[in-house]
Amino acid sequence: MSRVGRIRAETAAATRSFLRRRTAVIFTFFFPLLLVLIFGVLVRTQPGGGGLFAQPDAYYLPGYLATVVLFTPLSRVGSEIARHRDGHRFEKLATTPLTRGEWLLAHTLVNVGVIGVASLLVFALVTLVTGARIPVSVDLLLLVPLVALAVVLFCGVGAVLGRVSDSQDGVIAASNSVALPLLFLSDTFVSPDLLPEWFLPVVNLSPLTYFSRGVRALTFAAPEGDGLAGLGAAANLAILAALAVVAFGVGAVAVPRGE
Amino acid sequence: MNDATVVRAVDARKSYDGAVALDGVSLDVREGEVFGLIGPNGAGKTTLVRALTGTVDAEGTLELIGEPAGDSDRSRVGLLPQEFGPPARLTARELVAYYGGLYDESRPVDDVLADVGLAADADADTWYENLSGGQKRRACVATALVNDPDVLFLDEPTTGIDPAGRRALWDLLDALADSGVTVFLTSHSMEEVERLADRVGLLRGGELVAVGTPAELVADHGGPARLVVSGPEIEAGAEPLRAAGFGVEVGADELVVGDVSPAELGDAVAALADAGVGYESLTWTEPTLEDVYLRLTGEEFEGAATPGASAVGGDGDRTGIERGDATTAATAEAER
Repeated sequence: MSRVGRIRAETAAATRSFLRRRTAVIFTFFFPLLLVLIFGVLVRTQPGGGGLFAQPDAYYLPGYLATVVLFTPLSRVGSEIARHRDGHRFEKLATTPLTRGEWLLAHTLVNVGVIGVASLLVFALVTLVTGARIPVSVDLLLLVPLVALAVVLFCGVGAVLGRVSDSQDGVIAASNSVALPLLFLSDTFVSPDLLPEWFLPVVNLSPLTYFSRGVRALTFAAPEGDGLAGLGAAANLAILAALAVVAFGVGAVAVPRGE
Repeated sequence: MNDATVVRAVDARKSYDGAVALDGVSLDVREGEVFGLIGPNGAGKTTLVRALTGTVDAEGTLELIGEPAGDSDRSRVGLLPQEFGPPARLTARELVAYYGGLYDESRPVDDVLADVGLAADADADTWYENLSGGQKRRACVATALVNDPDVLFLDEPTTGIDPAGRRALWDLLDALADSGVTVFLTSHSMEEVERLADRVGLLRGGELVAVGTPAELVADHGGPARLVVSGPEIEAGAEPLRAAGFGVEVGADELVVGDVSPAELGDAVAALADAGVGYESLTWTEPTLEDVYLRLTGEEFEGAATPGASAVGGDGDRTGIERGDATTAATAEAER
């Protein structure tokens, strides 16, 4: 029971703490919905036209989902670490049997739950409001591990940001600095054909790219792009899984021990 | 208490960016002992607790329950950090259950809450952020007790707790020590340390400058007992007292007679009476642990709390013919 019990206790405490911060709950769900309403309903796409949002509506579903799997774990795990440091909670936890890896796993599970629900809302809103046509098949179930693995990955990155930042303000600034470039340069809202040729290898370095392409392979009938963009959902899922394992490992080591 | 050493530091050293926090600290704490650590702010108390609990790395030998501090059996250790702030929107009951859930075995939550005086549902089911300052600290203490530890580290446990709650917590710690729990306590309250600790260590600038029972420390470092005689024109009594063999310092409307034992009080009073010197009050004060603290830390300064003043505060044993004026006594002490 030991390990499971410890993770359960930490997960339960983290879940309660999150759900009782109403502002955090509201904005966790409100922010991605706002993006869908602004870009999907107000701006709207112009299939065949030039510039941004020139693709069909379904093309942008990975971008909307990316906002929740990217921003939320980065800021939530980073902020949680900052709060723990402020309250000397890691100092206390270091004298309990809970390990740093177990701590990060517990908080990752909370994020998987929260972001899973948020992703479901985004998916429903995009299909209902923008009229995006999503090909329905059993393969759509692969969206679940794609979202979960992306959350694991960015929880690990969030732990690193929490470690290197010295305050909650610092965490927010750092997570925005990391997330904003990733969001727009990972084959999400900005299609690769809008970027200079020389920059495309950089797109392939972003872990979010594999989430985006994996989701697009499942939800968009005519995937476009070059290089790895042509990989199927399973291949992108596998790459994402490998990156998630690495990021989680690094994040677990980065969780402070005695502060 | 037995002779088994459960907390051990040998030549412990720690620096932060060149600032020395621990400078060769060595100590042993025996099983079932309550060890009190005192010292000014920045003396290294919290760093020593962290080094002993393995939450910061330090040079030297640091052992806890027979293992290197960082490798000790965590289920046997309880810690209350100095500025601990647990999740604010968990109730006291949820907090204790949460920390209890991190161990394979833990005490019933309600029992732990009862131990710290938070048994009432209204308290136990209130979010931590809505508890009073004292209740918060008691909830934090509860999180250190929930795993029924063999060694308990409490870094200023009673800060912010009202006198009744503080005494209740002292009784609890007494009971824990009686049951064999080793308690390592830091505090700025000399009353607390004198009341609880079997032995006391005094840290100054990262060095452990004195260790012993409270009585030993007072005897070795507390300085002499003294008699303060107050009244108008009391300076006339200085010569008769000196003639009787006492050392006397003259202050404003008072005489401070040093190194007076209880048996000599009568001689001093007789010397004044024989000389026809009247007085308004006589105050005799024994040295206390606070005197030891002030002397060894070099924190005695004019116009502030001093041995005489601290005794008036209730720490010392006072044979009072009449309760003296602490400020006046303090001034006289400082001038001497």
